[in-house]
Amino acid sequence: MRLAAAIAALWLACAGVAQAAEPDFPPLTGRVVDAANLLDAADEAAIEARLRAHEDKTSTQFVVVTLPSLEGYDIADYGVRLGRHWGIGQKGVNNGALLIVAPNDRAVRIEVGYGLEGTLTDALTSVIINGAILPRFRNGDFPGGIRAGVDDVLTVLDGNGEELRQRAVAMSAPDQDDWIAFAFVALILGLWVLILVTNFRRHGWKGLLAGGGGSSRSSRGWSSGSSGGFRGGGGFSGGGGSFGGGGSSGRW
Amino acid sequence: MLKFMSRLALILGLAGSLAACGVNNVPTYEEQARAAWSEVQNQYQRRNDLIPNLVETVKGFAAQERDVLTSVVEARAKATQVQINVDQLTDPEALKRFQEAQQQLSGALGRLLAVSENYPDLKSNQNFLTLQSQLEGTENRIAVARRDYIDAVRVYNTELRTIPGRWIAAFLYPEAQPMATFTVAEEVTRNPQVKFN
Repeated sequence: MRLAAAIAALWLACAGVAQAAEPDFPPLTGRVVDAANLLDAADEAAIEARLRAHEDKTSTQFVVVTLPSLEGYDIADYGVRLGRHWGIGQKGVNNGALLIVAPNDRAVRIEVGYGLEGTLTDALTSVIINGAILPRFRNGDFPGGIRAGVDDVLTVLDGNGEELRQRAVAMSAPDQDDWIAFAFVALILGLWVLILVTNFRRHGWKGLLAGGGGSSRSSRGWSSGSSGGFRGGGGFSGGGGSFGGGGSSGRW
Repeated sequence: MLKFMSRLALILGLAGSLAACGVNNVPTYEEQARAAWSEVQNQYQRRNDLIPNLVETVKGFAAQERDVLTSVVEARAKATQVQINVDQLTDPEALKRFQEAQQQLSGALGRLLAVSENYPDLKSNQNFLTLQSQLEGTENRIAVARRDYIDAVRVYNTELRTIPGRWIAAFLYPEAQPMATFTVAEEVTRNPQVKFN
């Protein structure tokens, strides 16, 4: 009993390894997360619809987020953390992007996921920010700047048919790890059933009860095999994409 | 036959449960840390690749800033020479040399960008603006890659130094060594920020 308590304590210690401090991110409520209240309902709905249409067509996730505060972080640092926290973009393809507007810090950034860095290059994001967004922001026209930025980013993302095709191929390829896990679990389950059946034949119901050792483990394998689910019915959630600091920032 | 089958099932089950309790953690985390390191080196290399173009562009408008231009070229040459392959990651001295070489290059680049502020024609040159945004993006990626590497090494070293990872490593992976990482102080005095306007 004491040993069990000691082991439990060790387990807790393992689980409680301190994580690096993260900013307090807003919840991912949709493709437009207007935490700083820069957009009215009509604008928000219009942008949301365009982003949804684009995702349905290409699986690329592009999210617009406005923030009341960067909590002392550099906007580039905040952007990577937020993108990874939300998991914007599809898992394995990392085709996500964020348009981040922090009006009180007077900073804007287009954060680009790994998989889009080749299309939405740093130079292009810089052109979009300096050409389309910042001039409007400087005049206080936040909705206009955001709309123009979304327009330009979508134009760039649409401009490359070859990449879209490659992405579609990558999306349809099966995940190899899942197959190995599946085969392993299936093997164990199969053996278990085999033993059960033979035991049942030999000893009847009694044998069935006695012969079921080692099965609790294998049933656990199922849950770990099913990662990477995204999009439920009407809601929106990140597909598990990752970010590496691509994109560029601007200030006004 | 039945005995054999149930024994096989037992062994497989045990192997599965061992994997679940972390017998593979040491090599897994080691590979992750090494992959994170390759990313760090990639991003520094990417910066190196941008520099010749940048130097040429600046030369076109500000050839008289010879000292600064030379210092960038020299620092780049030096940084290119100091490479670390993944087996050297356990050597803090090697990592320190790498970091020093890259920092010298960061300093030289910072000076180059500072002097280019004095040349309005250069500042409005489209090629220069493009390079500047690429350089900024690369500095960003370096920062992210370094942070990821620090995290990966932290996880790996923690696994090696704590129980049960320590026992498992002593038993199965006696050659596993803790890896060196970037010092936090360097993160604070980070690379020069390239700013527009």
